[in-house]
Amino acid sequence: MKKVLFAIAFAFFALTGYQAFAQEPELSPERKQAIDSLALEKVRDLSKYIKLIGSKNTPWSEANRVIDRAEELFAPDAEIGVSSLSKKKIEYYKVRQYLERLMRLNYDRVEIDWYKIQYVSDLQRQPDGTYVGVITIFQTFKGYDAEGRLVYQDTTKKDITVYVKRKETQIGGRLIGFWDVMLGDMRVKETTMK
Amino acid sequence: MKKVLRLIVPVFMLALCFNVDAQILGNLGDVEMDERALYTMTKQMGQFINRFNYEEDQYGKKLNSNDPNFRNPEIRKNVLPLLFDLENPRTSGTLRDFFVEDLIKNNQFMEFLGGQWYSEVSAKFKWKGKMVDISMIMALEEEGLGSKWVISNVFFSEFQKYFPQGELAEREKHFLHPMSHELDFMNIYKIFTDKQIVEYYASTKYMPDYLTLFFYEIKQGNLVFDHVDSVKFHVFQIKNWYFEVSWFNRDGYNSGWLISNLYYLKDEEKEALLKLYQPTK
Repeated sequence: MKKVLFAIAFAFFALTGYQAFAQEPELSPERKQAIDSLALEKVRDLSKYIKLIGSKNTPWSEANRVIDRAEELFAPDAEIGVSSLSKKKIEYYKVRQYLERLMRLNYDRVEIDWYKIQYVSDLQRQPDGTYVGVITIFQTFKGYDAEGRLVYQDTTKKDITVYVKRKETQIGGRLIGFWDVMLGDMRVKETTMK
Repeated sequence: MKKVLRLIVPVFMLALCFNVDAQILGNLGDVEMDERALYTMTKQMGQFINRFNYEEDQYGKKLNSNDPNFRNPEIRKNVLPLLFDLENPRTSGTLRDFFVEDLIKNNQFMEFLGGQWYSEVSAKFKWKGKMVDISMIMALEEEGLGSKWVISNVFFSEFQKYFPQGELAEREKHFLHPMSHELDFMNIYKIFTDKQIVEYYASTKYMPDYLTLFFYEIKQGNLVFDHVDSVKFHVFQIKNWYFEVSWFNRDGYNSGWLISNLYYLKDEEKEALLKLYQPTK
């Protein structure tokens, strides 16, 4: 239901905003805030998917379906760059590869939680006019063995690229403009917090 | 004792400032955790700029330019000291106070597309079979409908070794006299007799172009990128000041992107330095 409402709100936002889009190349603060909310919605979806994929209670086939959904949030060439306190060199993964790795982690029980805090950068334009921003979120991870002992934990900072592109679609013979939000590269860095 | 107090007071202020449970755009997580350290952390360089200018409040909410608190000098004065590495005496003493005073008095701000700020990306490369350190200087350049980061120079000790400054007296010994052209440059072979000092025969204004050498070595296959070690920023935008911003991954209320070095530097003196960062500017 929430998704349907969100889709309607988005379509309304796109329709009402069309005239303004055609005339103003720069985003107004209000429109930027609306786009921030759209981008955060995608990041929120991603965080839910990561929790599901990591959970040992999620059946294998279901986890694979969630990976498909999560992959759809990202631009096709997006990469995940991971580093830890002990291994500073960035390891690069394709989105699917990163999520499958998460699914196959060798713990008996896994707890993935997200801090409430998030930081949304200003949007900047790249040379082709696409807006680009970064959303920062924080995740805690705990891995337990068969005896229920905590064997690994970390807190990571995830900086997620967000691309915002003006697109057009035809509805009832009319060209309607809308803003498409797509996730890009994600940098995962371990913090000193436990 | 005074020093300890100076350190404790801003940290305490900061903890108070950022002791929040309000959220601006809805919550991501659902678990109660102590998040104060994450609020105080300057999480992105963009957030550093917003905090530096006081264009966002203590909750991370962007302030519109018509908001009475937007760039408010009184609040800004209290927030600015918190953007320094408080564990470093160089960035937590009197010099910092002078800097803050100057910023407030002269209404100086940082601008994303204002130029004169650079990123230094320290990386490892494989060069002729061994691992070497190379610093790449990145600059923001406007193009088309937006902007992009471009590589504006590189620092690589092996390149610099090829172009030592040399003694002025020695340099002055090496030249082709002004009538050489009348002799069909029969003396030109002198340029090539000692390859170590071949550049002495170039213009006095000649500056080696390390970026071209870098590209050449990459194209030749001699230099292969391996990984990035660290990133920091050099800011020359503020009149008569230079500062460096580094990433501090640590516990407490003074972490993230913070000022790690500060110099009083007259704008005239900056010019020579800026040539090193962006020779083509």
